[in-house]
Amino acid sequence: MADNQNRNGVAHDNGSHEEHFREKHLMLDPMPRGKMNEMVMDAMHTTSWKFWLVFGMLAALVAYALFYKWGVMILEGLGVAGVNRPAYWGIFLVNTVFWIGISHAGTFISAILRVFKAEYRRPFTRAAELMTTFGLIQAGFSIFMHMGRVWLSYWLMPIPNQRELWPNFHSPLSWDLLAITTYLLGSTMYLFLPLIPDLAMARDRSDGWRKTFYKVLALGFRGTEGEWVHLRNAMNIFAFAIIPVMFSVHTIVSWDFAMATRPGWSSTVFGPYFVIGALHSGMGAVVMVLAVVRGTMKNMKYFIRPEHFEAIGKLMLIISMSWGYFFFNDYLVQWYGGDKWTKQLLHWHEAGPMGWMWFAMLLFNVVIPWGVLWNRKWRSMPWLLFTVGLLINVGMWFERYIIIPISLTINRMPFTWRLYEPGIEVWLGIGTLAFFILLYMAASKLIPLIPVWEVQEGQMAHSLKKFGRETVVTVSELE
Amino acid sequence: MTTELKIPEYKLAEEESGKWGMVVDTDLCTGCQACVAACAMENNIPYVGEEDAAYGRSMHWIRTERFWEGEYPEVRMTDYQPMLCQQCGHAPCEPVCPAFATVHSQSEKLNLQVYNRCVGTRYCANNCPYQVRSFNWRDYQDPRLRPEITILANQFNPDVTVRRRGVMEKCTFCIQRIHKAQDLAKSEGREVEDGEFTTACAQACPANAITFGRIDHPETLVSQLAHSSRGVHHLEELGTLPRVTYLKGG
Amino acid sequence: MTAEEKSILAVFADIDPAADAIEQLRLLGVHDDCMNVISGIPVTEAMLGRPSQWTNVPRLALGGAIAGFLVGVFLSFITPDMYTILVGGQPFTPVPPAVIVVFEMTMLGMLLSTFLGVFLDSYFPSYRPMKYIPEISDGKIAILIECPPPDEQKVTDLLKKLGAESVQLTEAQHL
Repeated sequence: MADNQNRNGVAHDNGSHEEHFREKHLMLDPMPRGKMNEMVMDAMHTTSWKFWLVFGMLAALVAYALFYKWGVMILEGLGVAGVNRPAYWGIFLVNTVFWIGISHAGTFISAILRVFKAEYRRPFTRAAELMTTFGLIQAGFSIFMHMGRVWLSYWLMPIPNQRELWPNFHSPLSWDLLAITTYLLGSTMYLFLPLIPDLAMARDRSDGWRKTFYKVLALGFRGTEGEWVHLRNAMNIFAFAIIPVMFSVHTIVSWDFAMATRPGWSSTVFGPYFVIGALHSGMGAVVMVLAVVRGTMKNMKYFIRPEHFEAIGKLMLIISMSWGYFFFNDYLVQWYGGDKWTKQLLHWHEAGPMGWMWFAMLLFNVVIPWGVLWNRKWRSMPWLLFTVGLLINVGMWFERYIIIPISLTINRMPFTWRLYEPGIEVWLGIGTLAFFILLYMAASKLIPLIPVWEVQEGQMAHSLKKFGRETVVTVSELE
Repeated sequence: MTTELKIPEYKLAEEESGKWGMVVDTDLCTGCQACVAACAMENNIPYVGEEDAAYGRSMHWIRTERFWEGEYPEVRMTDYQPMLCQQCGHAPCEPVCPAFATVHSQSEKLNLQVYNRCVGTRYCANNCPYQVRSFNWRDYQDPRLRPEITILANQFNPDVTVRRRGVMEKCTFCIQRIHKAQDLAKSEGREVEDGEFTTACAQACPANAITFGRIDHPETLVSQLAHSSRGVHHLEELGTLPRVTYLKGG
Repeated sequence: MTAEEKSILAVFADIDPAADAIEQLRLLGVHDDCMNVISGIPVTEAMLGRPSQWTNVPRLALGGAIAGFLVGVFLSFITPDMYTILVGGQPFTPVPPAVIVVFEMTMLGMLLSTFLGVFLDSYFPSYRPMKYIPEISDGKIAILIECPPPDEQKVTDLLKKLGAESVQLTEAQHL
């Protein structure tokens, strides 16, 4: 290790030092663009039988668990699910919050890291943005499943009925609808804009049906000066504008709970607490996806390197600490407050039959991430980060489960207290998960997963410079 | 010299009293459940079956809550507590519905549920501090699905809608009876008199524990009872302006 | 300009020779309006010494934001008056929820018009034949001379001398 050599005062020759930089950093290990294009195209075209096996199994699962089971529920009514009085909202809403949370990682990486010019984001912005769009689709499924009369869901759209009655904009659910629609459209457009040059690249290198597919999607992009200027201006506007939209979406999701006059829900810290929670599970999901992409797709070891896991691991640690901070904030105020129903609720969380979940949440969201991610070497290991990301996602799912059905058990009418036992919604939840993976697998074979032009731009901007006897990395701002 | 602090007056959208009100005397209530049965017959409320009822899906618009104090075997019963929609003046269930399916009647000062606007988000039920809303978890009223209720379908009240799956419902203060009485009074060119009609639960109560009427007229029975020193409102501190008064500790 | 018309397309691997070539072409009398640069990575006009490009995208974004703002105001302040319904003792048109609705609609209008702005300004989608060679998406920088140059041979020689990888007469073709 070069670092050790430095510390031990062992003289090192510059050649091997630079070699070490190249090995470590994608941005310092440039390849001709043509070669990178080829690698990305190759990764898209190489499909093993294992891929099709998993794909087929997931497709069958989606057909059964999502569509068939949902059809049964629509025909039978919500009685086939586990919702009851007082837990009127069950796993449907848990999954909605969960999937919206997953979708926050894409925007965080592609917008916030772009605004702050964090260079390590370059190879995986698209992989993260795809999660945003596909995660929001699952959130949409979950919230529509939850409705008692889903066939009338268009009544929530901002359109009047024949008597000029519009939806009720006093309702947090109406805000939710507007916010999620804005976010879904915005993030899909933001996914598409930087994709246009890569679609043109794929168009130039394919034939047959793929040629037609990319030709249509690339819209006739050539890369003229004007096209680049319009595109970059738009991406800049999107990067800044989508950040407040992202914050508003999960804040409004939290307001679905915080606006209610219920013990445990009526909390002013829910907005930021939910946003951080969303990022927590989202970043966990990003490392899982990156570890799978790196491990299973061809040529991805060049683009996605331990340095990227290291960098995301650092972010995960910060977010985990922030989550702990907000959780404690919420908990302490409720604990100190002295309201008898809130006290009963907190006692129920910890000592009730689902108390194990409350402790597992803290273990997975705080203890394990802090224990692992402080160490630079550990957080550079893809498989270890995959495991931590998985545990964080389980922990965050537990968190939402505790906030929704478990907290709903306790209200101000003790006569109605009853525990929620999930029914068909378990299948439906599995269905959304399968559908998410299915969409992601299909996308990985249809659109270039690595934004090649952004990687090349980054590689052009990076260079090594000597300050005295030390070689350091410098980045020039090209924009 | 003191300067007078001018605090602008906060005006409630609906005045404290409301229009229709109910008084439940828990000292008289025997827990016989006659009100529950009468309400179900008057308002076409389905019976949901043992399994769903045990799982917290019973659909009664009025329920008799039963509590006890102490540990077995030293158990002491407390008063029965019939619980129904409190027809809040500032109802938490109303603003959270995205479809305007639960709204406030400005003329009757009642909390209405519009069945055919309801899309079943169940937000209102979550936000009801009294937990008195019932949801149609299944098509309980469809004789094609439940042949055992075919005969029950013959006693449906024609004045009340039969609800299908996915719709929220709750106590209406028997609004069909209110309208019938008002229509009759109007056709005879007079005001509705106190005691001329009452809700199904009040009518059925053998102990006369439930009284219903105009709470904004000081001379009515319900108004006088509601203003007695024994009257309390449930969860009054939430600012919901409940229209049901409970009398206890007589 | 008809599709049959031919133009000179010179492909460069690096920014420096391309910038030099643009300068020399200008000296030869090729107007800036006759030149276009097509590249596989975003190369700024300043790097190539080209006049800056006009873009309507920020203006359209602002226009969309204003339109969205007005839609938000309409939804939260006008629609409740079309059929007045009292809920929860709240005013018919309360301000705090309106802030949320107006914010979301403003952002939606802005994002949609930014996206459509790219389409309008770049004439997307366009599937007509265009002057292009696929090597450009390998990160090359191509100079496209669209007016008939004063001396074709001279221009070709100059571009080759300045380090062009290839100089060719192209005509529009399907991408």
